Amino acid sequence: MGHGGNLMKIKKDLGVLLAVYGLLALLPIFFHNNMSLMNILIISLIWAVVAGSWDLIMGFAGIFTFGQIAFLVIGGYSSVIFCKLFGISPWFGFLIGGIVAGGAGILVGLPCLKLKGAYVALVTFAVHMILEPFLKSDIGRAIGTGGAQGILTVPPLKIGSYVYNAMEPTPWFYTLLIISFIAFFIIYKVVHSMWGYSFIALRDSELFAQSVGVNAFKYKLIVFGISAALTGMIGGVYANYVGMLSTRILGLDLFLILMVMLVLGGMGRFPGALLGAFITMFISESLRYFDTYRLIIFGLLVMVLVIKMPQGIIGLIFPLGKAGIIERTILHFREKKAKKAEMIT
Amino acid sequence: MLIELIDVLISGITNGSVYALMAIGMALVYGVTKVFNFAYGSFYSMGGYLAFTVFGLKFGYFPVLIIAVPLLFLAGFATEVILIKPLRHRADWEMAAVMVTLGLAMFLDNTFQAIYGPFTKSLPALFTGGMELGPIWIGNQNMAMFVISIVVLTSFMLFLSKTRLGMAVEAVAQDMDGAQIVGIPINVVFGVTFAVSALLAGLGGILLAPKYFVSPFGGWDILVKAWVITALGGMGSIRGSLYAAFILGIIEAMVGYWIGFTWILFAWFAVLLTTLIIRPQGLFGTWG
Repeated sequence: MGHGGNLMKIKKDLGVLLAVYGLLALLPIFFHNNMSLMNILIISLIWAVVAGSWDLIMGFAGIFTFGQIAFLVIGGYSSVIFCKLFGISPWFGFLIGGIVAGGAGILVGLPCLKLKGAYVALVTFAVHMILEPFLKSDIGRAIGTGGAQGILTVPPLKIGSYVYNAMEPTPWFYTLLIISFIAFFIIYKVVHSMWGYSFIALRDSELFAQSVGVNAFKYKLIVFGISAALTGMIGGVYANYVGMLSTRILGLDLFLILMVMLVLGGMGRFPGALLGAFITMFISESLRYFDTYRLIIFGLLVMVLVIKMPQGIIGLIFPLGKAGIIERTILHFREKKAKKAEMIT
Repeated sequence: MLIELIDVLISGITNGSVYALMAIGMALVYGVTKVFNFAYGSFYSMGGYLAFTVFGLKFGYFPVLIIAVPLLFLAGFATEVILIKPLRHRADWEMAAVMVTLGLAMFLDNTFQAIYGPFTKSLPALFTGGMELGPIWIGNQNMAMFVISIVVLTSFMLFLSKTRLGMAVEAVAQDMDGAQIVGIPINVVFGVTFAVSALLAGLGGILLAPKYFVSPFGGWDILVKAWVITALGGMGSIRGSLYAAFILGIIEAMVGYWIGFTWILFAWFAVLLTTLIIRPQGLFGTWG
C-alpha cells in the first residue's frame, strides 16, 4: 500500500474526490421526491465521514483502533448536551462535539503510544465497551445523557429563519454534502502533507521513520486527535439529523457495517471509504427485510473481501503498480488511434 | 468478615480457573500464529449450542463431549486453513487476519441467532447440592468446574511439553524460522493450534452453559474477558495468562461482592491500563 508523493497521484486523488462529489450534487435533481432514497444518501454521507476518519488512523497511519464509533457517540452526546445546557446553536454544537471527541481521542491515544498492535485495539475497544454502561450509569444521567432511554429531543438546526426538518431532505442533503466534503478535504490534505507522509512512514517502518527524525509520539497523537475530532463533529450532525441519541449506535452490528465500508472501499486508499460507505449502505438497505440474514451476509462479505479483494473497490479502479480500468481504457483508445494513424500513413 | 473474605476468595479462584481455561486458548493462538482471533467467543457459543442440541436428544452429558470435541477441533482447523492461510504472505496480514476473524464472528453469531432464536437457552446443572466446611458452603457445580478446568489445563500443559506435536507447537512459538529449518511442518502446527484453541473455547462454553446460559452473542463477553486476561498476562505468554486469570478472577469476585457487578469491567480495564502504563508488554510478555 505504498503512497508516493508524486504530483500525478495527488492530482488523481483530488480528481476522484471532486468527481464523486460532483455526481452526488446532481442526485437531488432527479430524486428529491424520493424520501427513502434521500435518507439513505444522507446517512451514507454521515457514515462516509466516520469510515474516512477511521481509514485515516487505521489505513494510513496503521494504528489499529476500534474506538471510532465511541468517538462518534462522545461527539454526538457532548454536542447535544452543550446545546441544551447553554442554548447555543447546533452549528456550534458540531464544533464542540468535534473538540470534545478530539480531546478524548488524544486522551485515549496517550496510553496507546507505547503499545503495539492488538493492545491498541484492546484499549480502544475497551472505550467502546465501557461507554454504554457509563452513559447509562448515574454519573452519565447527571451529565444529561438520559440514561438507558437516551436523549429524545435534540434542538433543531436552523439557518437564518429556515428550520431543518425531516420532511424536506434536500437542504439536509446539501448541508451534509458540504460538511462531509470539508471533512474529506481535511483528510485529503492531511494524507498529502508532511504529517501524512510521517504517518505512512511510521506505518511502514516505525524504526526507520524514527531514525530519520520522525517524532512517533507526536504524530500518533495528532492522528488520534484529528480522526476522533472529525468523527465527533459528524456525531453532532448525526444526532441532529436523526433527532435523538441512544446507546444503540454502540451495537456490534453497526461496528461490522462500518468495517464493511472500509474493507469494501479499500483500506488506506483515498477516497475508498467514501465509495465504500455508499455501496455498503445500499446493500444494507436492500437487505433490510432479512434482518438476521443481513448480518450473516455481511459477515461472509467481510471474509470474502479481505481475502479476495484486499484493495477494495478503489483497488479495482486504480490498482497499485499496474494500470486500472480507467487507465486501461484510455490506453486502449490511444493504441487504436495510433494504429489508425499508422494505417493512414 | 474473615468468612466473607474466604467466600469471596473461593468464588474468585473458581472464576479464575474457568478464565484460565478460556484465556490460554487465546494466548496459544496469539503466541504461535501471531493472529488475534476475534471469533474466539463464537467458538465458545458454538460449544454451548452443541451441548444444547445434543443434550436436547436426551443422552446426557457424555455424548456431548463425544460429538462436540471433534466438531470443535475441525471448526478451528478449517478456520485456519480457509481464512488465515491465504492472508499470511501479505504485508498487512495481521490486520487482515483480525478483520477476517471479526467477519467470521459476525457470521457465526448471526447464524446461531437464525437457527436458535435470539433468546437464551438453559441447560441443567451438571451437579447439584454442595458441601459444608464449618461456616463455609461450597457448591458442587463450582467445585466440579474448578476440578474440570484444572484437569483440562494440566492435560494441555502435558500435551505441550510431552508430545511431539506439542513440542512442535512450542518450537514454532519460540522461533518460526528455526522451526521450519529443522523440518517442522508449520502449516500443520498453525492448523492444530487453531483447532486446540477452538476446542478449549468450546469446552469452556459447554462447562459454563449451565451457569451462564447460552445466547447468540454471549461469546463477546468471553472474548473481551479472555482478551483482557491475555493482555494483562502478556500476549502470547501462557504462563502469564494463568496468573492473570486468577488475579482478575479474584478482583471480579471482590468488586462484585463489595462494590457492584456493573463495575467489574471498569475495574478490569483500570487494572489492565495501570499495568500497561508501567509494563507495555504485559506481566510476562516479551516484545516481538
